[in-house]
Amino acid sequence: MIINFKGAKTYIGTGGKSLDTTKKTLCFLHGSGQNHLSFIQQARFFAYKGYSVIVPDMPAHGFSDGNPCKSIKENAEWITDLLVDLKLKDVVVIGHSQGCLVALELNRILKSSLEALIFVAGSNEIPVNQFLLDLSKENPQKAYQMMVTWGHGIDGDMSINKWPGHYHYGEGSNIMCMNKPTALEYDLHSCNDYSDGIDAAKNIKVPALAVLAKNDQMTPLKSGLKFVELIKNCEIHILDCGHFLPSERPMELNSIIKSFLSKLK
Amino acid sequence: MSENYKFDTLSLHAGHIPDKETGSRAVPIYQTTSYVFNSTEEAASLYNMEVGGHLYTRISNPTVAALEQRLAALEGGASALACSSGMAAMHLVVSAICSSGDHIVASSKMYGANINLLQHTMPRFGVKTDFVNPNDPEAIKRAIKPNTKLVFGEVIGNPGLDIMDVPEIAKICNSKNIPLVLDATFNTPYLMQPFKHGANIIVHSLTKWLGGHGIAIGGAVVNGGNFDWGDKDKFPTISGPHFALGGISFWEEFGPSALIAKIRAEGMYNFGPSLSPTNAFHLMQGIETLPLRMKKHIENTHSILDFLVNHEMVEWVKHPDLETHPDHEVAKRILPKGSGSIVAFGIKGGREAGKAFIESVQLASHLANVGDAKTLLIHPGSTTHSHLSSEAMKEGGLTDDMIRLSIGLEDINDIKKDFEKGFKAVKKLNR
Repeated sequence: MIINFKGAKTYIGTGGKSLDTTKKTLCFLHGSGQNHLSFIQQARFFAYKGYSVIVPDMPAHGFSDGNPCKSIKENAEWITDLLVDLKLKDVVVIGHSQGCLVALELNRILKSSLEALIFVAGSNEIPVNQFLLDLSKENPQKAYQMMVTWGHGIDGDMSINKWPGHYHYGEGSNIMCMNKPTALEYDLHSCNDYSDGIDAAKNIKVPALAVLAKNDQMTPLKSGLKFVELIKNCEIHILDCGHFLPSERPMELNSIIKSFLSKLK
Repeated sequence: MSENYKFDTLSLHAGHIPDKETGSRAVPIYQTTSYVFNSTEEAASLYNMEVGGHLYTRISNPTVAALEQRLAALEGGASALACSSGMAAMHLVVSAICSSGDHIVASSKMYGANINLLQHTMPRFGVKTDFVNPNDPEAIKRAIKPNTKLVFGEVIGNPGLDIMDVPEIAKICNSKNIPLVLDATFNTPYLMQPFKHGANIIVHSLTKWLGGHGIAIGGAVVNGGNFDWGDKDKFPTISGPHFALGGISFWEEFGPSALIAKIRAEGMYNFGPSLSPTNAFHLMQGIETLPLRMKKHIENTHSILDFLVNHEMVEWVKHPDLETHPDHEVAKRILPKGSGSIVAFGIKGGREAGKAFIESVQLASHLANVGDAKTLLIHPGSTTHSHLSSEAMKEGGLTDDMIRLSIGLEDINDIKKDFEKGFKAVKKLNR
């Protein structure tokens, strides 16, 4: 659905179902340079399982207009205001990569309004190398291609895909091309500059789930494991794939999330 | 770990990793119509397009999917869909994008069946086409109307071998927000990858060079993922609510793969031009050696060009790699590895000489196909294009004396010796 939010056209994926605020809401937060399409196989799946699903395109991403947020905190505040605007409470927030950092900040702001947190291929910090930071400004298209190839496990190289006929690299880079050219640069700087992750992780009081990727080159498994140690009672799963876990292992991820959700009160 | 494999490697491996249960190195042929669901919930998820997977082989099949994913990787596209023939692919694209009242701009110099579909069949369903010279970008620009939904052409025209200036035409299409759809059968992704030049959708007859052995009919649509379908007034059945799946918007739900998702949900579901798993396997076997074969096709073609250009019985020779070809400069720019292995030449003595030549060669096969590993030849005016009027034939660059060769992989001296037999027969005829 498209709404006018903070004076800009804002797109919110709802998984093919109308938003129903009476149902339990799952809020998916995309990663750097991504948009709602990075959760293609989660949004429809959970919307058709009786949940209310929102997958916002952050400003300047996907179908949303506006200027990109300049920090993780700004991203979290934008989401906070969006949830208020949509009158959504007790949401389960599911972040992928940068979306995990935003979820951490969101938890600090919202606290009582969050029901649970799910971190997919996440960490409490996402340092970005200077080469990629520079490239995202100078040649975003090339940066997309590099991220897409780094971001996938062997399934990317070998064009293996659960969705018949789809090619991770071609699809992934074109999803990134849908964003405004400056979106990735701001996202990567936001990730690189974020330093409150340790405190934020330690302060999580709601049920938490982390699904990490064994061959993750963007947020390495080692970093992800250190992160989950900071969270009290975090359920952990490790899947054999790369960073783009939602598209590489959709069934497994959906199954883990579904099981986790079933255990919530 | 990302290796970013190159073309030759992808030709062999893309789309398949040996499974842990059997270790089968070759892509297995999943000769099945249907797939057992683990639960009613799983079945519903597949029907609702919540997740990827296989429902019924008319819609998708694991062997066919391996082929599709190999093609998408080789072309550098977002997604691909394989179907029963190149013409099925063409129809799937046109019917997915256009509705009654829509308009197409197409090259006037194309394969007869492509022209037939657009000139005679689609108008019965309210979709009209204006045909223009593919070498004239300005003519293409002028032909675009407010209701034009796609521009269609062949990278290398069949049989006239005209070369479309893809980057120039892509610029025009892009400025008008109209997808450029190209039949890339004659070039294959080995010689040229149209998405790198701005094209948006590719159709292939896999039967030809990609399959390469003349044993299986198949086609494919490859979606570049680089077209914005967001204009709901222009592309209402892709970006607006569709009748299927409770009003799905393919553009919103699938983004770069919207077209393929729509074709699978509507075209394959309602028309059913599916590719058999066995044919998918045969076609993949061909693709495994595509780089090797294309190198040899081009090498042999260039040798035959020298042979024909210098032959006393030859009136003219047409191939884009010859400086005399009107599109030679375009060919050099967009097809630097070579412009394919189809050669057209005019034989001295006209129609009768052409017939005598064809009936006297022994190694080259007289048949209506191209892109086989074996050398093929045909007289288009009396076969593939015989149903076209003289005016239409002339517009397509055809003449009575024209013989079309599809140069194969045989020893080049054997091909030349074989052609000499044909020329000797023509000489006797002329005495």
